[in-house]
Amino acid sequence: MKVKLVTSLCVVSLLSLAACETVQPWERGTLAKPEMQLSEGLNSPLYQQVYDSKEASSGGSGAAGAGCGCN
Amino acid sequence: MAKPNPFLALSSAAMALPAFAAPQPVETIVAIKATTYQEEDVPQRDVLAGSDERYKIDIGQFRLLTPVGEKWSLGVDVAYETMSGASPWGTIMGADGEASLIMSGATIRDKRTEVSLTATHHGESRSISVGLTSSDEDDYEARAVAISGEWEMNNKLSTLSLGVSYSNDDIEPTDALSFGRVQREEKKSRSLSAGWAQVLNKNSVLHVGLDVTDHDGYLSDPYKLRDVRPDEKLEWALSLKYRRYFDNQNAALHLDYRYYDDDWGINSHTFHTGWHQNFGDNVRVVPNVRYYSQNEADFYRGTDDFGLATSVNQSSDFRLSGYGAYTMGVKLIYSALQWDVSLSLDRYISDKSYGHDASDQSHPALLSFNMTSVGLNFRF
Amino acid sequence: METYQFDFQAMGCPCELRLAAVDRSLANEVARICSSETQRFESKYSRYRTDSVTSQVNNASGRHPVTIDPEVAAILDYSGVCYVQSNGLFDITSGVLRQLWNKNMRRLPTDSELDFYLEKVGWKKIEMSSNEVFLPIKGMQLDFGGVVKEYVADVLAAKARSMGIEHGLINLGGDICIIGSQPDGTPWSIGVTHPTESNCAIAVIELSEGAVTTSGGYERYFDIDGVRYSHLINPETGWPVEGLLSASVAAPTSIVAGSLTSIALLKTPEDGIRFLEECATPYFAVDQQLGCHGNLGDIRYA
Repeated sequence: MKVKLVTSLCVVSLLSLAACETVQPWERGTLAKPEMQLSEGLNSPLYQQVYDSKEASSGGSGAAGAGCGCN
Repeated sequence: MAKPNPFLALSSAAMALPAFAAPQPVETIVAIKATTYQEEDVPQRDVLAGSDERYKIDIGQFRLLTPVGEKWSLGVDVAYETMSGASPWGTIMGADGEASLIMSGATIRDKRTEVSLTATHHGESRSISVGLTSSDEDDYEARAVAISGEWEMNNKLSTLSLGVSYSNDDIEPTDALSFGRVQREEKKSRSLSAGWAQVLNKNSVLHVGLDVTDHDGYLSDPYKLRDVRPDEKLEWALSLKYRRYFDNQNAALHLDYRYYDDDWGINSHTFHTGWHQNFGDNVRVVPNVRYYSQNEADFYRGTDDFGLATSVNQSSDFRLSGYGAYTMGVKLIYSALQWDVSLSLDRYISDKSYGHDASDQSHPALLSFNMTSVGLNFRF
Repeated sequence: METYQFDFQAMGCPCELRLAAVDRSLANEVARICSSETQRFESKYSRYRTDSVTSQVNNASGRHPVTIDPEVAAILDYSGVCYVQSNGLFDITSGVLRQLWNKNMRRLPTDSELDFYLEKVGWKKIEMSSNEVFLPIKGMQLDFGGVVKEYVADVLAAKARSMGIEHGLINLGGDICIIGSQPDGTPWSIGVTHPTESNCAIAVIELSEGAVTTSGGYERYFDIDGVRYSHLINPETGWPVEGLLSASVAAPTSIVAGSLTSIALLKTPEDGIRFLEECATPYFAVDQQLGCHGNLGDIRYA
């Protein structure tokens, strides 16, 4: 069940990649807006720390940091 | 939708020309954030001994990101956290047949300071970063080093990112001798991450990421009465992030998903979605929802069994049980040209019934909390 | 502080530098560097130089892509924005049509001649990536004439400023980029040549910052059978434009001022005025009846 879910997610991602268009430099204004960024400032490390200390999962935000005493 | 003024369109396009382009990064950014949250007290009936007051946590964050010369930038991150409250020492069967908590006594006041320094070299279409992090608590010390790189391809429509990090942690539990805890233990973690960001069209972008981490050493919770975990853990997480802008609404949709799996038998799903709604040029309101669900670890037990040998893996830590959690939040941001201020309010609730693969028993320590956060950013 | 003037010929037009400096040797040094920078651009982008990037790309048309550096790529990207903002009238591939419309042609072109060249015109036909450009049809030609000269004025002004010049201007054949006001703080007086009386100024524009470009729709004209034709060709019809006699636009940068002027001159007089109004930046335009429009400058003689 786990493997099937992961496989279908990968396929969806690859399909999206195949469907992309060319975006000219003069059309990239929207992508630069703050609300379109993948992570925003200090939010990522804050929520990552809060949730990682209360849940069993970690990772997924790309940023690797030092641990905390929350074994 | 108004047609853009040709003068403005040409002016912004001209900015990309070498004579006008500034070396990157251009500006210095200073960010500070103050956060506080209080975990809700455990219901009295679920506490067999000790205090029913959960943690109150205050976090202060500071970040400085500044260009150095034409090709370098330096980042300094400092986080200071104070925690006070009681935490669960163990879970045993109460007289009523329900699991009950043995909590620690009077409040523990602990402080954590984390300092991180990152240096980045910016090339034409790639950047490389090296970072050092140091985290200190009364009973815990961690040192980590990380190296990562980003490569832009396909006319800057695609970005590949790769990273590797290594962390060395030392734990020296307080009152170790009095409570029969381990006195000094070590943990090493190694992590690899890879990501691909792809611009799909002028209004949307998709990011796919894969992180793999290996932990080696003392992984148990030394403050629990009986907590024995394997001395190795391999975990990986696959993440998807989608951002889509809606011209007519002047808003952006965020959709994030993460699948997590480890060799302790835990897997989890995390969904996060937010609607970033702009009002005029200065205000943004972001209502958002997070859903989290995990199943239980292989060696998880609803109650501690002190009869088992101390070499047998077991833990009644609620964080290893099967449950689900929701976070509902809203963020308000006011932006000016050189600064912006934000206020975030979040409510987190967890329950066994929210999970996709819940444990048999509901763990009494599953918690809820309200979190408030205020942030300020400066750009100059 | 004195203002020193330096004149030279480059990119097919008379160029003038006015640099104010306390020290004459600084002005000389700045002028020397500006001149050599102009030569660098000319060697790189002129279609008349066999070793220029433009010639390399043009000679490889229909055959293979040519590697380009980030500066060329950025200029091509900017040209693309001009194409979009002018609704296809500003097209750097339209230069080949000059084969049909020039002083040596004594007659109007035939439809088949127009078709032959129109087939080789079209910005959208260019294939480019971040470091390569390919003209897929043999005979296609890029002509940076409408973009590079204006950009060079900005480059020279930035260079002069970086070397310590605070007052002065760069004038490359009508593309004027101001380094700073005159040393006493007063603005520079820039004359707009009368479209038909070439030794008079039809208007005077006073500026102490930014850039202004003046261009004439019939600056280089030719006559066929008693009819006067402009040297500006519409890339969609293949015929010369019947547009404004003259247009001047003021903008923060010379490249933008130049592009807006060029685009306005490629349209009919009514559309040209409407376009300049839409841009909401100061302009001055003269229509075919010698009527003056716009809020830039003072009219002296009409």
